[in-house]
Amino acid sequence: MKNTHAALLAASLVLVSGAPVSADPLALGTKAPMATTKMKTAAGKDVTIADVKGEKGTLVVFTCNACPWAKKWEERIVKLGNEAGAKGIGMIAINSNDPKVNAEDGYDVMKTRAKERGMKFAYAYDATSGVAKAFGATRTPEAFLFDASGKLVYHGTIDDNADDAAAVKEAYLNDAVNAVSAGKAVAVSETKALGCGIKFRNKSAS
Amino acid sequence: MRPRILLITALAFVLGACAAREEKPVAAKPDSLTVDQVLFTPVAAESLSTVIRPGDSKVTLVNVWATWCEPCREEFPGLVKLARTYEHDGLRVVFVSADFTEALPEARTFLARQGVDWPTWYKTGGDQAFIDALDSKWTGALPGTFVYDAQGKLRDSWEGKADYAKLEATVRPLLSLPDTTSKESRS
Repeated sequence: MKNTHAALLAASLVLVSGAPVSADPLALGTKAPMATTKMKTAAGKDVTIADVKGEKGTLVVFTCNACPWAKKWEERIVKLGNEAGAKGIGMIAINSNDPKVNAEDGYDVMKTRAKERGMKFAYAYDATSGVAKAFGATRTPEAFLFDASGKLVYHGTIDDNADDAAAVKEAYLNDAVNAVSAGKAVAVSETKALGCGIKFRNKSAS
Repeated sequence: MRPRILLITALAFVLGACAAREEKPVAAKPDSLTVDQVLFTPVAAESLSTVIRPGDSKVTLVNVWATWCEPCREEFPGLVKLARTYEHDGLRVVFVSADFTEALPEARTFLARQGVDWPTWYKTGGDQAFIDALDSKWTGALPGTFVYDAQGKLRDSWEGKADYAKLEATVRPLLSLPDTTSKESRS
């Protein structure tokens, strides 16, 4: 039994060890992959990315419950998501983390968090981590914004200051959402920030 | 009677502290650091180049970590061991904490427990410039590890934790060490 555990541990270590910098993220101009993959939301419903598509665009944010960066940005993400609908942008937040790494990333905590934060958008559980892999997402939080035609027009962070909302100088995602909502080009289409590496499940998503 | 009880209590406390010390990584020096001895200073993107270009080191390995990051904590002892094993071969391991301000005391405690008795840094300033200063291909996910040669040229980098075998296999050729046999196993 011990040997089996050791072998499994060894296998998992190999699988999570040192991925090259970096996985290929979804390229600007491409459409959302796995858009018809069903995921269970914190509200207990099955949802797909295609289901939440807005008239003017769709916002996909990979986030989670436990990551300090996700927590720092959480209120801003929820505000953005709750206001996106009125701008014609459909929003889905996706948790792709394996809760075996951190139990706080489990489905039950998602339910509580969605309620506590008053999320009016889908907070979905990517049970295989396959959606994050298909997007080439690597960290939480990480946003992908698609325009009315379904093409990726923004990929990156929420804004330029996770630590202090009052000190934000560049509200990248909010600006991108407003641009897409107004049918305009996004001024800054790719940004980066530090974040927690997504805790991918080892099994393939396919 | 009372002084004796106090003495026993004090002895138990010291022994307990010693037992706790034994949880340190294999490569840590036997006498543990105090939190105040940890050399932990801020670094922003603009000054990162001086950290990356150390002058007299053949290879500089920069590891960006944080206290809450489990893979970071898991790989940390291996990085400390690597630093100690290859320091005389010209390797310099640079730890940069990405912890938020409120977690910096915890980061300092962690560094002390790991026996990191050489200068380390914590990140300040904007993320994007910091990421690009280390490696423009880095997505910002932690942990992030970057290996530079003596000229400051990036020679390897990866996201996620690495085991000791990978660390050795990466730095040994850059240190011009002749074979892939572990230095430990040769000695």
